[in-house]
Amino acid sequence: MSYRIPMGPYHPALEEPYKLELVCDGETVQDAKLNIGFNFRGIEQLAETRNFIQIVALMERVCGICSNTHTLSICQAVEQIAEITPPPRALYIRVIMAELERLHSHVLWAGVAGKLIGFKTMFMTCFAVREQIMNVLQTISGNRVNYAMNRVGGVNRDIDDPAMILAMIGELEKDMVKTVIPVFTTSHSALSRCTGVGVLSEEKARSLGVVGPTARASGLPQDLRRAAPYAAYEEMDFNVPVEHSGDVKARLVVRALEILESCSILRQALSKLPAGEIFTGDESEMEIPEGRGFSRVEAPRGEVIYSVTWGEDTDTPSRVHVRTPTYINMPAVRWMVRGARLADTPLIQASIDPCYSCTDR
Amino acid sequence: MNATTALLRMLVFPGILFAAPAAWFFLWIERKAMAALQQRIGPPFMQPFFDFVKLMGKQVPPREGLGGFLMKLWPVLAVAASAGAVGLLPVIPRSGGFPGDLVLLLSLLELPSMFIIAAGFSSRSLWGELGSSREAILSVSYNVVFLMAIIGIAASQHTFSLQALAQSQGSPLRWLGVLAILICLPAKLHMNPFSVTNAEQEIYAGPMTEYTGHELALWELAHGMEWVAATGLVATLIAPPLANPWMAGALFVVLSVAVVLVLTIVAAATARLTIDDSVRFFWRCALAFAVLGVSSVLLMRIKL
Repeated sequence: MSYRIPMGPYHPALEEPYKLELVCDGETVQDAKLNIGFNFRGIEQLAETRNFIQIVALMERVCGICSNTHTLSICQAVEQIAEITPPPRALYIRVIMAELERLHSHVLWAGVAGKLIGFKTMFMTCFAVREQIMNVLQTISGNRVNYAMNRVGGVNRDIDDPAMILAMIGELEKDMVKTVIPVFTTSHSALSRCTGVGVLSEEKARSLGVVGPTARASGLPQDLRRAAPYAAYEEMDFNVPVEHSGDVKARLVVRALEILESCSILRQALSKLPAGEIFTGDESEMEIPEGRGFSRVEAPRGEVIYSVTWGEDTDTPSRVHVRTPTYINMPAVRWMVRGARLADTPLIQASIDPCYSCTDR
Repeated sequence: MNATTALLRMLVFPGILFAAPAAWFFLWIERKAMAALQQRIGPPFMQPFFDFVKLMGKQVPPREGLGGFLMKLWPVLAVAASAGAVGLLPVIPRSGGFPGDLVLLLSLLELPSMFIIAAGFSSRSLWGELGSSREAILSVSYNVVFLMAIIGIAASQHTFSLQALAQSQGSPLRWLGVLAILICLPAKLHMNPFSVTNAEQEIYAGPMTEYTGHELALWELAHGMEWVAATGLVATLIAPPLANPWMAGALFVVLSVAVVLVLTIVAAATARLTIDDSVRFFWRCALAFAVLGVSSVLLMRIKL
């Protein structure tokens, strides 16, 4: 019996509004159609009315999970136009914030994935661990969602006591190794839902141009932190986990290993934190010259690209273009769900960690 | 058992009047235990009752024609069947019963599942149809195991009377059967890892998607009473025979709660299996030892 099953724009498996229209034969998915743009907010247009201080606050609102990635990207792009180099301490603090954000994003994703396979205990465990990460972020920035850490020329707040943050990271890593990672890598019922499900071959991944953990789980060893280092990533020693099977399990393993790598980067950055200023230049006197800035940052979900064009004698940009990872990864879902069981589609679409807040900006 | 006692048992004790509060109590234990395992606070004691009252007060959209009539009918029948099943349980020793009441109990336990399937198709919702077809496939799989286990137990004790089963001593074969029943219960009660019928992330509430108000309240009540009947059946099978009716009643409740806790722990520790994995599980693993149970009973009887 053939069904057309609408999944979204409002569906218990989706956190944000988009629509997957599944053509099913019984419980087997034959094809899928994707609709996005249910929550368009016109942020790029709004950005053209903001100066270089206001635009950072605006771009922070593009995404509720990777807010720091967006401020980092816009600041880097504007710094490129104005030819400002932030001090080394600021670059280290940017790395720390970016990795904390990656940690909380990956743990949040693991929780959501748990919920989608009906494993609510896993969801609660992950969110309990994530709460510790949020506490670290709050200790550093005073905020839990929009950290307001980045500014053009550096960062807004210093890390006064790295030893305390290091201790918190130690606790966090212990909890993650003890609970989150083993549940997903040893639980029989969880593994049976992930292995061999939603496969994206290396060839298909390359031709679709997928980014981030989705690409790394399909055998493409791409990571901007390694390929085009920004902030202080050049001075960090870390591995880029790559899996080759391309299924949901591979995406899970890549993220689990990235959690451990993030902890290692955090330890390095906190113990090597250089002394000195946290920003350069005086914002009240700073002027952005005419020019074009381009910035690429490895967000938790993959590559975020900002292209900023500044006109002559104006204090607002003439164009801000954002390319988010979900926009690039989402078409791959169509290939992943073909031939899959209906029961697996919520997990498959979630396995790319879709973020429609970013996509419908 | 004459007609009056039968009616009393079905309507008063341990039937509807006793079974409804017991159902809410069991639902509360399940929700509270689940919350404790998931580091949550969980609902207050009266919550399942409040849920019921709130649903009873809600408006139901007008449904016309035969489909609408059937949608109203199924939850009432489900409550009646589960109440009947609870009424048959020999909670108090020597309280009556008749030869073969085990067979009636099994059929009454099975009816709510059939009504759920019918309700999903009557609602003519896509999610209802998907949920109902899942429930149908699943019930065909686990019921074979469930029936085999019961037949194994009954045959080893030479009786199909619940009273006689409750009074007789346990044997290794009986424990094997109880284990098989325990494996089937999560599927019967729509719990993890076999909660495919109402997998909310896939098909919303499955057959219940179109239900609201007092009809949904009746479904919830029927579900709660299924809990009482199913856990009560296991408690009857594992309880040692006691002469004191108060002691027997208390032991019955304690054992039922223990079964609820075991099922909750299993549900909390597992992810949801897909429908084909669930079916495969029942046909491969569980059927194997249900067959083992029945065949060893038969062999024993031949020897005797």
